[in-house]
Amino acid sequence: MEEFRQPIILGFVALYMGICIWVGIWAMRRTKSAGDFFVAGRGLGPMVVSLAVFSSTLSGFGFVGGPGLVYATGLSSIWMAVCSALGFATGYYLIAKRIRMIAEVRNSMSLPDIVFARYGSEAARLLTAGTILLGVLGYLATQILAMGLVLQSILQGTDMFSDISLVASVVISSTVLIFYCVTGGIVASVYTDLVQGIVMIIAGALVVITAAHVFEGGFAEATGILLANDGEDIMPFGTLGAMASLSWYFLFGLGLAGQPHVATKMMMNRNLSDNKIILPMTVFGYVVAAMLWISVGVIMRALVLGDVGLPLGNADQAAPEFLSTYAHPILAGIVFAGLFAAIMSTADGFLNIGAAAVIHDIPKAIRGRSLDNELFWARSATIILSVIAASIALYSGQLVALLGAFGWGTFAAALVPVVLIGLNWKQASARAAVAAITLSLAINFAIQLWSIKIPYGISGGFLAMLSSMIVFIAISLVEKPKPLPKDIDRILEL
Amino acid sequence: MKPIHLVFALLLVIAGITVFVLTSEMPPGASGAPHPEIAGLSLGGDGADRLDTIGKAPYYFQITVILLAGTLLYMGIPAHRRDRLLRICFGIGIAFALFVWVMLYTGYEAYLATGKTVVMFGFPVPTNWMFWGIWGSFAAFDVFYAVAFRRYFLHPDDEAAFHDLAREMETDQIENREAN
Repeated sequence: MEEFRQPIILGFVALYMGICIWVGIWAMRRTKSAGDFFVAGRGLGPMVVSLAVFSSTLSGFGFVGGPGLVYATGLSSIWMAVCSALGFATGYYLIAKRIRMIAEVRNSMSLPDIVFARYGSEAARLLTAGTILLGVLGYLATQILAMGLVLQSILQGTDMFSDISLVASVVISSTVLIFYCVTGGIVASVYTDLVQGIVMIIAGALVVITAAHVFEGGFAEATGILLANDGEDIMPFGTLGAMASLSWYFLFGLGLAGQPHVATKMMMNRNLSDNKIILPMTVFGYVVAAMLWISVGVIMRALVLGDVGLPLGNADQAAPEFLSTYAHPILAGIVFAGLFAAIMSTADGFLNIGAAAVIHDIPKAIRGRSLDNELFWARSATIILSVIAASIALYSGQLVALLGAFGWGTFAAALVPVVLIGLNWKQASARAAVAAITLSLAINFAIQLWSIKIPYGISGGFLAMLSSMIVFIAISLVEKPKPLPKDIDRILEL
Repeated sequence: MKPIHLVFALLLVIAGITVFVLTSEMPPGASGAPHPEIAGLSLGGDGADRLDTIGKAPYYFQITVILLAGTLLYMGIPAHRRDRLLRICFGIGIAFALFVWVMLYTGYEAYLATGKTVVMFGFPVPTNWMFWGIWGSFAAFDVFYAVAFRRYFLHPDDEAAFHDLAREMETDQIENREAN
């Protein structure tokens, strides 16, 4: 079977992409309005929502960047994964119910709509939408680039496409993504997330089993090699040290609820009571899929430090190298499909909230109403955003790195105080929301623009989030509380 | 003291510890050093040296973060549903999370002091506390959410009150449209 490795991998990836296209066509028939396009008419079942929430959270970073980080720096980055139980808890304890209630009462279609409903401030809505747009372009560009690179590496292994270019690979993979996002909107996005989530869980579980058998003595032997060579890498804080790891725990654990592509999915469930099942299913799915991140990284590092394997040219090759060398061809096919699933499930969520920001939130904030014929413009905006992001990914050089930084840390720093605290504290004020978002953007931008190196590897996103939370609460405390609209006041009581 | 005041105080403590760390002298390789032969790999080196100038700052930092996380989660439960049983459950949950952290950190300190550690389930014991304990201590809050959902998170009376509100708002909107 080994001689058919590349065709098998290509077959699984093609099958997966075929399913995505089919879901797009199926979902097109269910998408008749902008409400269907952006929030699926708030009619999704618990299984779909839970898998959509977890698969959007664990992007291509978890399947490629994560193992690469463990290979390069030991277990430091695992703090981004072990905080998931806290991250999902904050999401469901603090915002899931209220965001869903406000969405129903105010017919909200996006997170900026929720922010406006809560604070009654167009400035807060505009800043939220602007933050989302910046983050979407950055995230999308990096995800599209990752998709192109992975597809190129698969196709180059075949005789027929051995000299395929990166541009062609980006075009092929983006076309599939754009197709199902344009035709089916969020309906296609969440149902492909369902498929993607299942593929990721299977991939995560199978890879752990494979990784455990690379060394005869299993993970214990790999640990022994690492302890003998360095030791710090396999201890809890990895090579980056305690403060770097703990700042990531703070940023990723408390920041998950501020991720707009995750929070938006919390307003799509059919019944409020479904949250009871959604939270545990989400946590279970994430933890199984994230095992790939840990196991592949540890094994690849042990192989190289133990002189069993050759050093990698690039840390991000850890997962592809592991799959091509140690995984059964069928498993490699499933995991490569899982890899696309991880990337696409995040990218489609971003495309959707980005389109909402462009055609719904920003026009509403500036001229008081959204565009006419929203569904048409939503589809057009989806295509335009994808093309811009793909161009940034391929041709911008520095810009992709700069925008890439406007990802998790920016969303967490800007939106956690505004959404997570604001939906649970009546005294939170609009002025505090505007100040917190502005400050967080300024800190994140400054750190990235001037390449500021923070001592002890502390995350810049953590510093921005901590500062914005403090400023948000401080301003709200000194301001005189204003009465809230009747519906918001009552929802915040429930 | 209201939960938000406690959240604010804990954030200030975290900021204080962070400022202390940022202004402390940074030992060489405090956030890892490049492997001398293998490009792209970093090494941790002597962990004890790396903590030389900041001492137990990471230990107290994480204790504060756990207390902050617990307080934030507590804020997510409607004020009129917070009862004695809830406070006991939260107390146990946070105490467990703190216990896990203490076991992890003291285990790590013991390794730094002796250079030795016990390997269990394929990984060093402090690492197991990180994998299963740090994750598990807040997974317990996720389980609590599912188990106590109807008592604390969406009480049937609150759900009914929300449906009343939704109907009321719908009627208001219809009346407003007709008036216009």
